Amino acid sequence: MAKLTLPAEEWMYRGHAACPGCGPALAMRLLLKGLGPRTILAIPACCWTVIATPFPTTALAVAVLDNPIESTGASLAGLRAAADALGLADVTVAGFAGDGGTADIGLQALSGMLERRTDAIFVMYDNEGYMNTGVQRSGATPQGAWTTTTPVAGTRRGKREPKKEIMEVVLAHHPSYAATANPAFPEDLVRKAERARAARGPRFLHILAPCPPGWRFSSEETIALGRLATETGLFPLYEVEDGVYRITRPYGTLKPVDEYVRAQGRFRHWTDAEIRELGAQARAGWERLCRRERETAAVARPPPIPLTA
Amino acid sequence: MTREVLSGNHAQSHAVRLARAQVISAYPITPQTTIVEKLAEFVATGALEAQLIEVESEHSALQAVVSASALGARTYTATSSQGLLLMHELLHWAAGLRAPIVMGVVNRAVAPPWNIGADHTDTMSQRDTGWIQFYPESNQEVLDTVLVAYRLAETAEVRLPVMVSEDAFYLSHTVEPVDVPEPEIVDRFLPPRTGHAILVPGTVGRLGSFTGPDRYVEFRRELARASAQVPRVLPEVEEEYRRLTGRSHGGALPTYRAEGADAVLVTMGTMTTTARTVVDELRAAGQRVGLAKLRLFRPFPDTELRRLAATVDRLGVVDRSYTFGASGAAATEVQAALYRGPHRPLVAGFLAGVGGRDVTPAHIRRMFAELLGPADPEPRWADLAPLEVDVHG
Amino acid sequence: MIEIRFHGRGGQGAVLASELLAQAAFLDGRSPQSFPFFGVERRGAPVTAYARVDDRPIGVRTSIVTPDVVVVLEPGLLRTTSVGDGLRTGGLLLVNSPLPPARLEAPDGVRRASVDATAIALAHGLGSRTMPIVNTTILGALARVTGVVSLEALGRAIDRYVPAAPAENRAAATDGFASVRLGDPAAPSANGAARIPFAVTVPIPEGPLARLPSSSIRTGSWRTLVPEIDERRCTRCNFCWKYCPDDAIELDGRGYPVLVLDACKGCGICAEVCPPHTIAMVAASEGP
Ligand SMILES: Cc1ncc(C[n+]2csc(CCOP(=O)(O)OP(=O)(O)O)c2C)c(N)n1
Ligand code: SF4
Ligand code: SF4
Repeated sequence: MAKLTLPAEEWMYRGHAACPGCGPALAMRLLLKGLGPRTILAIPACCWTVIATPFPTTALAVAVLDNPIESTGASLAGLRAAADALGLADVTVAGFAGDGGTADIGLQALSGMLERRTDAIFVMYDNEGYMNTGVQRSGATPQGAWTTTTPVAGTRRGKREPKKEIMEVVLAHHPSYAATANPAFPEDLVRKAERARAARGPRFLHILAPCPPGWRFSSEETIALGRLATETGLFPLYEVEDGVYRITRPYGTLKPVDEYVRAQGRFRHWTDAEIRELGAQARAGWERLCRRERETAAVARPPPIPLTA
Repeated sequence: MTREVLSGNHAQSHAVRLARAQVISAYPITPQTTIVEKLAEFVATGALEAQLIEVESEHSALQAVVSASALGARTYTATSSQGLLLMHELLHWAAGLRAPIVMGVVNRAVAPPWNIGADHTDTMSQRDTGWIQFYPESNQEVLDTVLVAYRLAETAEVRLPVMVSEDAFYLSHTVEPVDVPEPEIVDRFLPPRTGHAILVPGTVGRLGSFTGPDRYVEFRRELARASAQVPRVLPEVEEEYRRLTGRSHGGALPTYRAEGADAVLVTMGTMTTTARTVVDELRAAGQRVGLAKLRLFRPFPDTELRRLAATVDRLGVVDRSYTFGASGAAATEVQAALYRGPHRPLVAGFLAGVGGRDVTPAHIRRMFAELLGPADPEPRWADLAPLEVDVHG
Repeated sequence: MIEIRFHGRGGQGAVLASELLAQAAFLDGRSPQSFPFFGVERRGAPVTAYARVDDRPIGVRTSIVTPDVVVVLEPGLLRTTSVGDGLRTGGLLLVNSPLPPARLEAPDGVRRASVDATAIALAHGLGSRTMPIVNTTILGALARVTGVVSLEALGRAIDRYVPAAPAENRAAATDGFASVRLGDPAAPSANGAARIPFAVTVPIPEGPLARLPSSSIRTGSWRTLVPEIDERRCTRCNFCWKYCPDDAIELDGRGYPVLVLDACKGCGICAEVCPPHTIAMVAASEGP
C-alpha cells in the first residue's frame, strides 16, 4: 500500500453543496489539511458561502465567520487582534475568498491587511469569475473568456482585458509568505498551507480552482485541467518568502496551451492564432518567473519587517 | 473621581479607557478624529491595554470590531457622517451577529455640499439597522452613557451594538467640566466581558451562515426580541450606575417641567440644554411649557411617550435632519407611537439646527409660540424662518 | 387554473422547462405565470420551479404548495425529496423514468405517468450522460397527459426560447408526447398514508451557530453516474482519495478505496485520475 502523501485528517465534512467536480471544494479540503483544526476561517460572500450549506449545518469542521464580500482582509485583522487581546494561543487566522472577494471588491481590505502586516493568511481561490452569481466576469477572468457579462455575440468575443495579476499586487506589499497553489498538485498545496501556517505576518495563497459550470467543461476534467494550467506555464507554481522566489514545480519545457483551451467551452470561439498568442504569453510569464528566481536567489534576504497586529 | 475640563470627544475616549476596551479600530473623519487620537495616545502610553487597528476605511473599521467581538473581545469604534454611511452594510452585520460593539458617532451633516456641522441625517438614516441609539446633551452624559452602553450591550438578553452620538462641535469640540470616575468604580460596574465568545477556535461552528425563507425570519425575530428587552434592562443598568457614581441621566425620555404643561417640546442632543433654559424663562413668565428629551431613539421609547401624551395636548418635536419625502424622523416616530395609544395630542414637527446651524433661544421661543398658537401639524423649517435667502441666487 | 410544480436538479433545465411551459401557454392564448424557487442551487442539487396556467390573469404570487401536477425530471429525486408534498387528490405525478407508471410511488389517489426522457434526450444528443437535458422531452409528455399546452405551441416556444439545438429539442418534445404512459391512480396504501418519503428534517439547534455537520445531507442522490471500483487492478496509489472534492472515497485498512455512497456526486474525477484505470463510471441506477 502506498504511503499517504497527505495528512489523513479531514476538516471538511461530506455533504457540502458544491457542484460535482468543484475545484474550490477540493481546494478547501486540501487547504484545511495544511491549516489544521485551530483555524478560524473568515468567508465572504462567494460560492463557498453556499457550499458550506445552510444553517444549521456546516461543511467545515473549524470555526467560521461569514463576512460581506468586500471586507475579508479587515475581518482577519479583527480576528487576529481579538485572538491576541484574549490570549488565544496557537490560532491560525485565515480568510478564504473568491477572486472577486479578493482582487476586485475585496482589494482594499486585502491591501490594508497586507500593509498593516496583519498576522493572518489570506487565501484567494481563483475560479476566474463571479461564479456564485452565475458566471460573470471578474478582474481575474482571462482575456477572451466567455462569461454571461462578456458574451461572445455581435462584435464581442468574451472578456477584452487581460487577467489581473493579483500576485504582483500582493507582492508589492512585501508579504512574509506568498505562494501559488493548485489542487491538481495536492502535496504542493498542503505543504504551502503548512508553510503559511508556520510563518508569521501577512501571508497570501493564490489557489487556482477550476469550475466546471463556469469554465464549461465536464466535471471529471477538473484535475486534468488544473495540471495543464500549470504544465503550460499559464499558472506556474511558486512561492515567495521574504522576497525570494522559488519555483516549486520546475519544467524544462512547457506543454502547448491548445489542449487546455480546447477543453473549455468558455474558449470555444477561439481561433488558432488566439491560442498561439496565449501560448506566447504563457512562455513570457514563465521566463519572467525563472528570471526572478535566479535574481532573488543571488541577493541576500532583506531583514524581516517587524510585526504589528 | 477627578473633575476635568474635557471635550465631548475626549469624554468618550476616557469612557472607552475606563471600559477597558480590548480591540479598537477607527478611521479619521472630522469631527470624530480626536476621539481615536486620544485613544491612540492612551494605548501608546499604556493607560489602556488594547489592540488598536489603524484601518484603511470605516468599512474595515467596523468589520474589524465585528470580527473581534465575535471572538469575545470588548470593542470600540467611532465615526461620523460619510464614515457612518460607508459602514452601512456592516451595521446590519454587527446587529445580526449580535456583536455588543459600542460606537461613538459624532453627528455631522452629509454631503453634498460638504459640511461638517451638527446634523442627525447620518444616524437617522441608520435607525433601521438594529443598533441601539443614544443622543446625549452634555460631555458628562457622553462619558456616562458610553459606560452604560457597554453594560447594556453586553447584557445577555440584549447583546446588541450601541451608538452613542454627539452633536458635532456642540459636544465633540466643546470643553466643559466632566467628572471622570475612578477605574475601580467602573470595574465594579463593568466587569470584563465574559461568556460571550460566540466563536471558539478549535470547535465547530459557523457564525453568519445563510438560510432560506424557512429560517430567516426566526433570526430577525430574535433580534426584535433582544431590542424589546432594552426598556426593561436600561433602568436597571442606570440605577446601578447611579448607586456607584451618583449620576443618572433619566432613562429613555427624561422630562423637564412637563407636569401640567400646555405644550411640551421634544428635543434631542444639545439643543435640549438651550431649550431647558427657555422653558425656565417662559415658565417664569407664566407660560405652561415643558420639555422631553428623546435620549434613546432606538429602541423608540413608545411607552414613555404615551405616558407623556396623557398629560399634554400639544407636542412639538424638533428634528435635526429631514427625511425627504416625509418629514422629520423623530416627529414621524412620535406620531406613530401615539397613534397606537389612547392619547393623541397635536404633534407639530420642527426642523432646526440642520447642517450645524445654531438652535438659539429665539428659535426655541418661537417654536413654543407656534406650538401654542393655531394648530398646524405641518413640519416647519425653523432654520429658514429668520433668513429666507436663496443660496443659489 | 392549473398549478404545476417541477422538480429537477441544477443544470437539468427545470427552471427553463417551467418558463417554456409559460411561453407555450401564452402562444396558445392563455395566461401563464412561472418562477423558480430561488435557492442557491448548484449543478446537481435539487431545484424547484412553479408554473400556473389559466384563462384569465393569474391573481396569486406565491409558491405552489398544493399542485395539480408534479413533474419530476430526475427519478432519483423520488427517493430523496418530498416531491409529492401537497399533491392534490386526483392530481398527476409525471416522472422521467423508464419504469411503467404502476411502479411509481405516489400519494394516494394521485394519477401516475412516466416517460423515459433521459433515453429520448440522449438519442437526440441533448446533454451528456452525466447531465442529460430532459426538459423539452418531459414538456412534450406533459402536453399530452394534461393538455395544458398544445404540442404545436410548445414547438414554437422551443424555436423561440431554447438557446441551443432547437430542432433536436422539438423532436425530443414530439417523442415525449408520443411515448408518455399514463397509469391508474395509486391505490390507497394499507395505512392510508402517502407513501412518498419525506425529506430528512434537521433539528434546529440553540443559538446562532451552525454546527451540525453537513454529512447528514446526502448529496449522493445528486449523481447520475457512479464509480465502480475494480479492486483487482487497484495498486492502492490512493489518487482517488486525494482528488475527490467530496471526500467520498475512504481507504480501508488495507489501503483499498471504498466509496461513500451518501456523499459521492458522481463527478468522475476519481475515474479520470486513477493511473491503472480501475474505476469506471456507470449509470447510477445500475451502480451500487
Ligand atoms: C456588496 C455585494 N455586492 C454583490 C454581492 C453579490 N455577490 C455574491 S457572491 C458574488 C460573486 C463572488 O465572486 P468571487 O469572489 O469570485 O467568488 P465565487 O462566487 O466565484 O466563488 C457576488 C457578486 C454581494 N454579496 N455583496
Ligand atoms: S459554480 Fe463553480 S465554484 Fe461554484 S460550486 Fe459550482 S463548481 Fe464550485
Ligand atoms: S465520482 Fe469519485 S471523485 Fe467524484 S465525488 Fe464520487 S468518489 Fe468523489
